Amino acid sequence: MPSVTLASVVRAEWIKFRTVRSTGAGYAVTFALTIGIGALIAAAIRGHWQTMDPLAKLAFDPVSTSLGGILFAQFAVGVIGILFITSEYATGSIRTTLAATPRRIQVAAAKLIVLLSATIVVAEIVVVVAFLIGQRIFAGVVPTASMASAPVLRSVLLGGVYLALLGAFGFGIGLILRHQSAAISVFTSLLLVVPIVVFVLPQSWQDSITRYEPSALGRAMMSTTSPPQLFAAWPATTVLATYVIVTLASGALLLVHRDA
Amino acid sequence: MISIAHLTKRYGHTVAVDDLNFEVRPGVVTGFLGPNGSGKSTTMRIIMGLDAPTAGRATINGRPYRDLKSPLHEVGALLDAGAVHPGRTARNHLRALAVSNGIAVRRVDEVLEFAGIASVANKRISGFSLGMAQRLGIAAALLGDPPVLLFDEPVNGLDPEGIRWIREFFRTLAHEGRTVFVSSHLMSEMAVSADQIIVIGRGHLITQGSIDQLTASVGGTVLVRSADNQRLRVALERGGATVVVSNDETITVTGVEAEVVGTVALAIGVALVELTPRRASLEEVFMDLTAGAVEYSSAAKATQHA
Repeated sequence: MPSVTLASVVRAEWIKFRTVRSTGAGYAVTFALTIGIGALIAAAIRGHWQTMDPLAKLAFDPVSTSLGGILFAQFAVGVIGILFITSEYATGSIRTTLAATPRRIQVAAAKLIVLLSATIVVAEIVVVVAFLIGQRIFAGVVPTASMASAPVLRSVLLGGVYLALLGAFGFGIGLILRHQSAAISVFTSLLLVVPIVVFVLPQSWQDSITRYEPSALGRAMMSTTSPPQLFAAWPATTVLATYVIVTLASGALLLVHRDA
Repeated sequence: MISIAHLTKRYGHTVAVDDLNFEVRPGVVTGFLGPNGSGKSTTMRIIMGLDAPTAGRATINGRPYRDLKSPLHEVGALLDAGAVHPGRTARNHLRALAVSNGIAVRRVDEVLEFAGIASVANKRISGFSLGMAQRLGIAAALLGDPPVLLFDEPVNGLDPEGIRWIREFFRTLAHEGRTVFVSSHLMSEMAVSADQIIVIGRGHLITQGSIDQLTASVGGTVLVRSADNQRLRVALERGGATVVVSNDETITVTGVEAEVVGTVALAIGVALVELTPRRASLEEVFMDLTAGAVEYSSAAKATQHA
């Protein structure tokens, strides 16, 4: 009698992941937003370059600017991660899933493996394409960057890692909250509302808190210039990964101990 | 075999299942009967490892569900036909389940064929009728060819042809030596499809046994018409029976068998015109057995509100 293994559950979750429309739609939106908005921003910069403030020109980063669409795409990958688990609760199929896989930690692990693998592949392709299109638009007018340079390559690839981590973050929040709308609200609040709240705090607090915001960590990961108010790229990746791991661990613990 | 021992489940202050004990044996169809809200679904969810009991245990062939290494090969269940992702096709839903338990994918087509939904295998489940969704749930329960099967209210949404089909199907599974555990709130359904019955109300075990035992336990009434109802009534009441005058011609006797009524009538010299023993219908038995539980529930609510 074949038994349930992590490998068999991963294969099952992979079938489930790709056989619902929301997955394909979510990745299509990720593609469109990262590349489309990135190209729009690049074209706008190129159009205004001659009249731009010299200080702004000095601070200009061709890498993170071409990846500006990630600010929008991060919500799409977050929603993919959230739906991967909350749709099971919304439809009740979680009970079918857990009856077939009573060791619940296997369900959480398999879903995470499927989600991270699919998202990292899509995200890395998306960021490289967005980067290349951006440099193409800048060429001749605005300074460009090349992935032949190690810091540039690192920034571009960490852009993909950022998206994949946010997908996993959404999944972890979904595991904890189980309700789609609640999870989406919390996810968007952490990315959008927390920076606004921090903005109204005293300046000295802001300086020490801002760098820990998920969106600031993303900026740090994709920056080639390491602004002083942000973490450097690798520490930023570590901090964001820590958030994601803590969220996932809490979610997995709740999945194992709560009634389905 | 399914064993339930001292099973208790509380949700906050609400007791859903209270010290429940019973066994479900292989080779017969066992009905699990109770009014809505009596704890049937909670018990089934605990058996399936979905909810954790507050106290006591539920085991399948001696092991808790969560310890099963290959659950779909050991237990098949249809708890809620709606518990599927509507955007997926029937085949993909079953493929994912099969793959998770290492079941060959060709088995998916076999169970689709058996459940009579092979023609809609590649359609999204969102377009399914409740009856088709039930059949999909049955197909899923059969994937691993398990020796133990659970069905929660399986008849809901099926058309008459589907209901006949599913009763026959339960019989077949039981004859193959499997454990078949079927819940329902409809006594009439259980009367035709189950061999053994477990009745619960408000989370308590009310009674269990074969259908014949259950009807016998409640006892019947005897319908009597005689030449002199008045004299017969006095004589019967002296003998300890309860007599109700139904109308001018008929009296209803409870507490004694028809033979006793005949003997008494002969002894006092009253000619009998009609003597009809009436067994309680299963519906009546059920109402009688669960009445206390239902009333207690209403009374408890009233006190809470006061």
